[in-house]
Amino acid sequence: MDKAYRTIGKSILRTDAVDKVKGLAAFSADIDLSSPPLVLKVFRSGIPHAKIIKIHTEKALAIEGVLRVFTAKDIPGKNLLGIINKDQPLLAADKVRSAADAVALVAAETEEAALKALDAISVEYEKLPAVFSPEDAMAADAPLIHPKGNQLAARFVKKGDVEAIFQQCASVIERTYRTSMVEHNYLEPDAGIGYLDVDGTLVIYASTQNPHYDHKEIVTLLGVPDDKVRIIQATTGGGFGSKLDLNTQGFIGLALYHLKRAVRCVYTREEAYLATAKRHPLTIHMKTGADATGRLRALRAKIICDTGAYGSYGIAVMSRAAVHATGPYAFEAIDVESLCIYTNNPFCGAMRGFGTPQIAFAHESQIDLHAEDLKIDPLQIRLLNALRPGSETATGQVLTHSVGISQCIEAIRPYYESAISQWATAEHHPYKKRGIGVGAMWYGIGNTGVQNPSTARVEMDLSGAVTLYTGCADIGQGSTTILTQILAETLGLSPEQINVVAADTQFTTNAGATSASRQTYISGNAVKDAADKLSDVLRTEAVNKLRVSKKSLVFADGCVAVATNHEKCVDLASLAKRIHAKGAPLVWQGYFDPETVPLSPTDGQGIPYGTYAFACQMAQVVVDVLTGEITVERIVAAHDVGKAIHPENVKGQICGGTAMGIGFALMEEFKPGETKSMKDYVLPTSMDMPEVIPIIIESHEPSGPFGAKGVGEPALIPTAPAILNAISRALNQRIYTLPANLERVLDASIQSGHFAGRKK
Amino acid sequence: MKDFAYVRPKNLVEALSFLHEYGHDTKIIAGGTDVVVDLRAGVIKPEYLLDVSRLAELKGIQLRSDGLWVGAGVTLSEIFSSEVLECHAPALKKCAATFASKQIRNVATIGGNVAHCSPCADTIPPLVIHDADVVLASINGIRQLPLEHVVSGPYTCALPDQEIIMGFILKPAAVTHADFQKIGRRKALATARISMSYMARKDFRGKISFFRFSLGACTPTPRQWPMVEELLAGKVPTENLIWKAARLLSEKMIEITGRRSSTVYKEPAIQGLFVKMLYPMV
Amino acid sequence: MDQHRVTITFTLNGKSVTMDVPGAMNALTLIRERLKLKGTKEGCGIGECGACTILVEGRAVNACLMLAAQLDGRDVQTVEGLAHEEGLSLLQESFVKHHAVQCGFCTPGLLMSAKALLAENPCPDKAAIAQAISGNICRCTGYQQIFDSIRHATGAPTGEEKT
Ligand SMILES: Cc1cc2nc3c(=O)[nH]c(=O)nc-3n(C[C@H](O)[C@H](O)[C@H](O)COP(=O)(O)OP(=O)(O)OC[C@H]3O[C@@H](n4cnc5c(N)ncnc54)[C@H](O)[C@@H]3O)c2cc1C
Ligand code: FES
Ligand code: FES
Repeated sequence: MDKAYRTIGKSILRTDAVDKVKGLAAFSADIDLSSPPLVLKVFRSGIPHAKIIKIHTEKALAIEGVLRVFTAKDIPGKNLLGIINKDQPLLAADKVRSAADAVALVAAETEEAALKALDAISVEYEKLPAVFSPEDAMAADAPLIHPKGNQLAARFVKKGDVEAIFQQCASVIERTYRTSMVEHNYLEPDAGIGYLDVDGTLVIYASTQNPHYDHKEIVTLLGVPDDKVRIIQATTGGGFGSKLDLNTQGFIGLALYHLKRAVRCVYTREEAYLATAKRHPLTIHMKTGADATGRLRALRAKIICDTGAYGSYGIAVMSRAAVHATGPYAFEAIDVESLCIYTNNPFCGAMRGFGTPQIAFAHESQIDLHAEDLKIDPLQIRLLNALRPGSETATGQVLTHSVGISQCIEAIRPYYESAISQWATAEHHPYKKRGIGVGAMWYGIGNTGVQNPSTARVEMDLSGAVTLYTGCADIGQGSTTILTQILAETLGLSPEQINVVAADTQFTTNAGATSASRQTYISGNAVKDAADKLSDVLRTEAVNKLRVSKKSLVFADGCVAVATNHEKCVDLASLAKRIHAKGAPLVWQGYFDPETVPLSPTDGQGIPYGTYAFACQMAQVVVDVLTGEITVERIVAAHDVGKAIHPENVKGQICGGTAMGIGFALMEEFKPGETKSMKDYVLPTSMDMPEVIPIIIESHEPSGPFGAKGVGEPALIPTAPAILNAISRALNQRIYTLPANLERVLDASIQSGHFAGRKK
Repeated sequence: MKDFAYVRPKNLVEALSFLHEYGHDTKIIAGGTDVVVDLRAGVIKPEYLLDVSRLAELKGIQLRSDGLWVGAGVTLSEIFSSEVLECHAPALKKCAATFASKQIRNVATIGGNVAHCSPCADTIPPLVIHDADVVLASINGIRQLPLEHVVSGPYTCALPDQEIIMGFILKPAAVTHADFQKIGRRKALATARISMSYMARKDFRGKISFFRFSLGACTPTPRQWPMVEELLAGKVPTENLIWKAARLLSEKMIEITGRRSSTVYKEPAIQGLFVKMLYPMV
Repeated sequence: MDQHRVTITFTLNGKSVTMDVPGAMNALTLIRERLKLKGTKEGCGIGECGACTILVEGRAVNACLMLAAQLDGRDVQTVEGLAHEEGLSLLQESFVKHHAVQCGFCTPGLLMSAKALLAENPCPDKAAIAQAISGNICRCTGYQQIFDSIRHATGAPTGEEKT
């Protein structure tokens, strides 16, 4: 079938790679302007919870080279940010809710002057009691972090009578799981630069995942008309969710607005650690029941998400964790309560998977526990329970197609069986234990039960040249290449022939956030929609010229040709001229919003997503029972992506996600107040990586562009569960708290009696 | 970062005279992998930075009449590729394999590693098993001190401001077994949670005729472990014996540090790492 | 003499450069801010990420941990020196061809580490590559396509072709 495609399914060279290997791609900190920009530095509270009495800036202002010190009073519009709920001021006005809260913004001629100014600012506070765990924050006498209470939101998903079914179950498992706060650690610390255009527009280049959202927030913050602000995404060094929040952009906008001079704001790594969002730590109480054959029947869960001082994407994390609590398995009855709680911790936001990596740790441990309990093979129990076309999900959605979980499980089976029969039993060091673990997942593409459309524009000029305008931010995952392929395929061009203007709010329309693995599916469809419309006028026009029916026309090498005889054709340039002469449009707007139904607030029933990605991974893990060290030797990762538009990009996502999954499983833990620089945070190096065998499963999604779904987040989700299940198989002892670091693994080794020193 | 003056002396004498005059306000820099990190964090604020990284007098690895000389300015990369060390101090060479990253090893020096006095410094346990002496130079001359006297506390070096570490004199040993092991939170770029090093000789009867051991990252300063060495000396290394020595080691460690929250892990892990390291002797 | 400033001369990507630098300036700032070569990145400032990797006398080092003054008399190469008139170097070509570049922030540093490795060992196996680049954090790729790129960069047969 791929043969029929010209570019879809081919790993073409990425549009941005050459500039990047030359070191010429301009990230925000690299952009040079004709005159040096002013330096912006942010003064942060340093205390977790306090009322602001007075901010003293006089001394700072007296420093040579310091131009201005801004505080909340200087914000002309609305000083409240947040993509889902607005609760975060750009600069704290009356109180601070975390040690990272921005209180003042310094603009200075030089870095040195700006840093001196930070030292010279002082703030009088009235300290307030602070809370650092959701349990404390939910106590009746807990200090209020936000006026409406410390519970930001709740999500319920309910179906059937859970308790009645538990009574009938042969195997009932109830456990509590905990996951750590995680730092995204995209390699490029947040940065942006801004200047005033000749017509007075505030132009901001930023490291961002969502330029159109940035635009909306800044316009509101400054109270200026839409066309007075232009956001352009600079080359962005990764995001993983954290660059969905307004990080440097708001500060740049504010300073530009007042000073009307070019400004730059570059976070050091230390500031990026302190001030940007983290992955929500979750506490998950989960109870599941299965019948004697291993069929899962009922699930009850209570999920508590610590969102820290602000909401950011917390509500999305809370909802997604609830909706995905079943894993890719069918249950008859479920009862999930998921809460999002404010604390005085660093705020948590979006991070690759939005709560799904956390919840997958729970559901994949549970299913393995049932497998152990009922003496069923872990792969078999997953296959038995896997969702299939016709299955109904926890929210009552009936899946009709592209449910590739069984294929994913089957795809790893040969590796699994040979690992069991050969690798596990091969002779090895007496103090090393080997384990094989499996993890599966499902992931709804796009935002949960809310509209999240994308738009795109396709233009053809009179020479037949095609330009794609998309608001979609490519943060390294390669969306620009994918969207170009989709457009090129539709118009029979090769991808190099297409010009792209991306993520520039002056020229592009909103494509929504680069998040939720949604850009291939949603923006890809928007591009396809625009391309189809252009294709239609071109073919309609070609009918006149070629005198055959529209149905029999195809695109081939820059022409519209008769399908059965490519010699009979007309080139795009002539068609464009003829269309133009008739006054018909050569510019088309595309639009796509997945079909969803909002979830009911009481029982969460509805259709949260248009489609789901599925995956199953296997991990082969060696545990050093003497020290608690873990070596992951191999990961086999089967992912159902619908259609791999660019297979090497898909593999890149799978391998990169696996690395992040290994970090999540074994080592990553951000400790507020302790984790200050990269010296304090361990994430996987090249030496920590196993052999990764990516397997692409293509279970065609009819509503996706060329059948595609998404893979960005799914790549990470099954890895930690697979590794944790493998450790548990190796030791016969399960770990319920992530990360499974040296301490926890050695403890499990001792508990299980493998640490011989204790036995003798 | 505070402003400071950068000084690069042409030779040792020039360096020593500079230190004689300005030592109090000077920080020596070699590879800079600790110094520049500390400057960025504002932990140190020197007036002068004295660059000793090019001093020829601090270079070289040689077997001399008084022992095995390792210059303070020798980098970890040089240690890693030294054939002399392979032969005469294999554990020291081994510690360079897992030290930081290639970039760091290319500039980081053994002198800097010791002078920084981090309890987690990887070169210290191998130096201790070789009874390393530190060779110190000042305008008044050269003296030699045992390593344990120089590394006087966590991040505190007993060196007067006017002195430079020229190098180390190690007792070379012909051994049948030697190793360095460390536990880190990942497989590269990892600070040691625990490190240890040993060398030993097994005689023709299979008995341990010579045994030296040292532990890193657990006690505030480096030390000898005579009781562990005594326990093993003259015996045939069995798995049981090694476990016994391992338990003695962790007991002694706790006697020094007391029980802390990290002891929950370190107590068994020290035993485990010890057994893992000595297992090849069994 | 104002000891806070030092005059240094070094070779940068084949050309000799002489300039006055503050004693406290690190090599990364010199390269990025004074010489305006922005290919070398700052990801952490403390030797933990490798984004700032440059070659000094052919050896990979972290520019963030080296003082500008320490470059005096040295041969220095940055990512900008890799490509030649005719186009990309084999190593760069290989990174593009094997899809080793995602966000690209780690790429310049990785290329420099890889270059130093290949100069020492023209046919490195996976373990040697992993060792050589373990000081270069890449958060995007999981390193696998980077391993492939480096392994195939010399054009030498490897015996383990991948699709
Ligand atoms: C990312 C990273 C990873 C690291 N990983 C490891 C690791 O795995 N294991 C480990 O042990 N260390 C590690 N370190 C710490 C550091 O690299 C070592 O301690 C290194 O050996 C220091 O040597 P240097 O030449 O860079 O010292 P510098 O930073 O130049 O100096 C360190 C100290 O020694 C003093 N000094 C240097 N030379 C002399 C001399 N000749 N005489 C007197 N005083 C002197 C300096 O004044 C300073 O106090 C790491 C550091 C970083 C940044
Ligand atoms: S910036 Fe130099 S190692 Fe990270
Ligand atoms: S490609 Fe993004 S960090 Fe390596």
